[in-house]
Amino acid sequence: MTLVDLCNLLINGTIEGLLIALPALALTLVMGVARFPNAATGDYMTVAAYAGIGVQAWGAASIFLAGLGAIAAGAAISIIFYLWVFRALRGRAPVASLVASIGVAFFARSMLTLFVGHDQQTFNLPLVRAWNFGGVRLLPTDLYVAALALIAMALLFALLHLTPIGRQMRAIADNPDLARACGIRSGRVLLSLWAVVGALCALGGMMFGVKAVVSPELGWELLIPAFAAMILGGIGSPIGAVVGAVLLGIASELSVPFVGPSYKIAVAFLLLLLVLLLRPRGLFGKAILSR
Amino acid sequence: MSQRITRRDVLKASASLAAASALPRFAFAQSAGTFRIGTLCPITGAGSPYGSGMQKAIEIGVAEVNGAGGAGGRKLELFNEDGQTKPDAAVLAAKKLIEVNKVQAIFGTWSSGVTLAVMPLTDAAGIIEMNCSGAPAISTLDTKDLVWRFQATNDRFGAAFAVIAEKRGWKRPATMAFNNASGIGNAEGFKKAWEKKGGRVVASVVYEPNRPSYRTELQQILAAKPDVIVTGSYVPDSTIILREWYQSGQDVKWILPGWAANPDLVKALGNEVVEGLISVDSVSNENAASYKALDAAYQKATGKPVSTNVYASMCYDMVMCIALAMEAAGPNATVAQVNAKIREVANPDGTQVYSFSEGKKLLSEKKKINYEGASSKLDFDQYGDVTPDFGVFVIEKGQLVRHDVVAI
Amino acid sequence: MIAYLIAVGIIALIYMLLTIGLNLQYGYTGLINFGVVAFFAIGAYTSALLTLGGWPLVPAFVVAIIVAAIVAYPIGLLSLRLSDDYLAVVTLGFSEVVRLAIQQERWLTHGVQGLPGIPRMFLSLGIGDYAELATLAVLVLCNLAAIGLMLHLVRSPYGRLIQAIRDDEVAVEAIGKDPRRLKVQVFMLGSGLAGLAGAFYAHFITYLSPDQFLPLVTFYVWIAMIIGGTGRTTGAVAGSLILMVFLEGSRFARDWIPSVSEVQMASVRLALVGLALILFTIYRPQGMMGSRR
Repeated sequence: MTLVDLCNLLINGTIEGLLIALPALALTLVMGVARFPNAATGDYMTVAAYAGIGVQAWGAASIFLAGLGAIAAGAAISIIFYLWVFRALRGRAPVASLVASIGVAFFARSMLTLFVGHDQQTFNLPLVRAWNFGGVRLLPTDLYVAALALIAMALLFALLHLTPIGRQMRAIADNPDLARACGIRSGRVLLSLWAVVGALCALGGMMFGVKAVVSPELGWELLIPAFAAMILGGIGSPIGAVVGAVLLGIASELSVPFVGPSYKIAVAFLLLLLVLLLRPRGLFGKAILSR
Repeated sequence: MSQRITRRDVLKASASLAAASALPRFAFAQSAGTFRIGTLCPITGAGSPYGSGMQKAIEIGVAEVNGAGGAGGRKLELFNEDGQTKPDAAVLAAKKLIEVNKVQAIFGTWSSGVTLAVMPLTDAAGIIEMNCSGAPAISTLDTKDLVWRFQATNDRFGAAFAVIAEKRGWKRPATMAFNNASGIGNAEGFKKAWEKKGGRVVASVVYEPNRPSYRTELQQILAAKPDVIVTGSYVPDSTIILREWYQSGQDVKWILPGWAANPDLVKALGNEVVEGLISVDSVSNENAASYKALDAAYQKATGKPVSTNVYASMCYDMVMCIALAMEAAGPNATVAQVNAKIREVANPDGTQVYSFSEGKKLLSEKKKINYEGASSKLDFDQYGDVTPDFGVFVIEKGQLVRHDVVAI
Repeated sequence: MIAYLIAVGIIALIYMLLTIGLNLQYGYTGLINFGVVAFFAIGAYTSALLTLGGWPLVPAFVVAIIVAAIVAYPIGLLSLRLSDDYLAVVTLGFSEVVRLAIQQERWLTHGVQGLPGIPRMFLSLGIGDYAELATLAVLVLCNLAAIGLMLHLVRSPYGRLIQAIRDDEVAVEAIGKDPRRLKVQVFMLGSGLAGLAGAFYAHFITYLSPDQFLPLVTFYVWIAMIIGGTGRTTGAVAGSLILMVFLEGSRFARDWIPSVSEVQMASVRLALVGLALILFTIYRPQGMMGSRR
């Protein structure tokens, strides 16, 4: 393997990791504040990506408008299911919410396929050639994807650390009882949490759709890698989710020359297992939304 | 803490048991004068892009046959089930079709796994099974000659790819295969045929479905500097791979199977990316009147040309074959008698016919016929497999243009 | 009709074995195992490969149970180190790795081409159609045995310990018992049951391929357990039957409403399963049979 190959693999791994990072962030936020693994995360992405396609099909050619449409749809579906399902399950065992979220995932996806069918969709985007630096190829679209992901993360961290609502989220994550005692109204905080989660999913779904294709199983298939990234980084740690996702992406791409493209997914899990054996709470474990 | 089963528990359990068993207890109306066909198309699961179109095509065929007054004095009656592209779900659906609906034939199984799981059931029940699967094992496991395959085996597809690559003078082929039986079958069929010709495959990769990007896999292939890449792929993964290849800017030719390189792929990628791409498919009779009729009916039902779904025309041909065989076997023929007539009406040495009514007329005049299908010329070998000729289509300005025909 | 009902019954009973195993792990000990399908797959492939290699069915079934239980051992050890959510994801990932391994190790499993022609049960007896009835009967017996074993476990001092672990691990340790060993044993026992279910599945479907062992199977088992009621033997029974009614009943629902196409029906079926899960967890958290958790 030459240095050029290595660089290309690193780039691919980073981009794939950043794609996973957004749903992983959404997962870890819910995990930290609402305290259950939300299996519907992937299907929020799918619904939002289809909303983006819908906006484009409606005549608005601009990918920017499509993105806004997707974010609105993502936030909406996330809030609807919070109000309907997850609010009613607060205070119950996490497994109850987890199983309900599997139900939400099935329900959301089947409603989608009932109306839009199973055909694949693609976003209308002009295709551009990659920049070639002596064999190291860099795609402009990948740069946009990476930049967008980083901006979204920066905004999220700003929200969590610089705004009152973010501080309240972190307070609830840290100690729900204490937060209540301090007069934090968790209902309003949770509503904004789910809006943010929906927006993150939507952005992830859009970016995935731009890079690959939009199909009804888009998000569902991303769920397990996103779970793995969250666990690797440590549950409830936003930084951990991002680092975990990028690490898993790079590790699995770098392993391709050695184990082939099928086992690269297994390599990601091996890495996860190793880390968990050394640090049972993940890389940034226990730092629930506090750093 | 200890647990005891109380009487209430038992009552509750038996109540739900009763509810469970009560549900399917309806009587099903079965008219005596019909030939009953069950469909098991992949409506959901991996085959879902094709499944509903396949079922539509069967419905179109049945309407055509019934509209022409039925076959052998009987009308066709359809019972549709979703095969779900899952062997276990398909087994239950097939059981239901066989036991409850008493079907005499099952059409439209798509993935090799589903066909392989359903075949033992249809063979045991002594009914006809018609599928679009590619796995070679299907040929040898059919012990009663009741299984008919309308899709060329993956081996044959691969061999056709090799002939095409040789004809065009390419020397350094590479393969990319989707990790399922059909994808790998295509790539390995190609490799076998190519190495027989004394060539060497410079690189090959098998990739996983549902990935956001195939750059690493592509990079491995392109590093070997191939002059042509042969794939066993589907539309979604081909979309991603071709887009990333185009963006990489490296010059190479592509040969794809027809179910991947179709108008949907062109629509997804735009004309520029797919220009010059070679799509290989069994030759259909796109100029025959019957094909045009199917195309029009299919467009009306789904809004798409039938060329977007190669399996749809195969499914349509299933109906035509069985109807012509019924006509040849005469009124009140048993399933075995109908089955025995299939080769007779589809294979050469008879007047070529392109539609059911045409065939029906000639059969009534006691003439021999050779049905030429919408999906291929439809000649069955001793295994019940078709041996089609392959059309070589080159995508030019977004249109699939047929350049030549390859026989293997 | 009868033969179809027998087939549905066989699949329902296979799911019942899986649900009883999971119920043992989660319902009684609180182990969150989201990798049920891995042990199901291991049992199925073990038995299929052995019988295709000329073994008789009975020893192949026994080996399938043992192999599934042995593979569960390291995962069980791991479960001691990890908290609930971590274990859930690790087991989920493990099941995907198992599936990938089945897919890739073609020398053993034929990979994506799958294993066709797995011998049916009771075929050699030459009893024709009664072979499936006999399969059903054996499955009923196995389920009864599994339930009996579970009740026996639950009532024994050992079983009280198991439940005590779920409720308070520290207290168990305080009375000088090693909860860790118990947990691993329960994990292996439940996985062995999944292996047995897999063996039955292999010899009923007669064709195995890796795509039959997606995480969806695990989710179905969880659904059956939650709907039936966790920690209740009767819950596992009712849950798996209700699941089958949902999955198969929709076929007949469509025969009655012909205006709905198959594509729509597939969506409606999944929607109903999803809706049932949502409504059950909200309005009937104890499941059909009441819950111990």
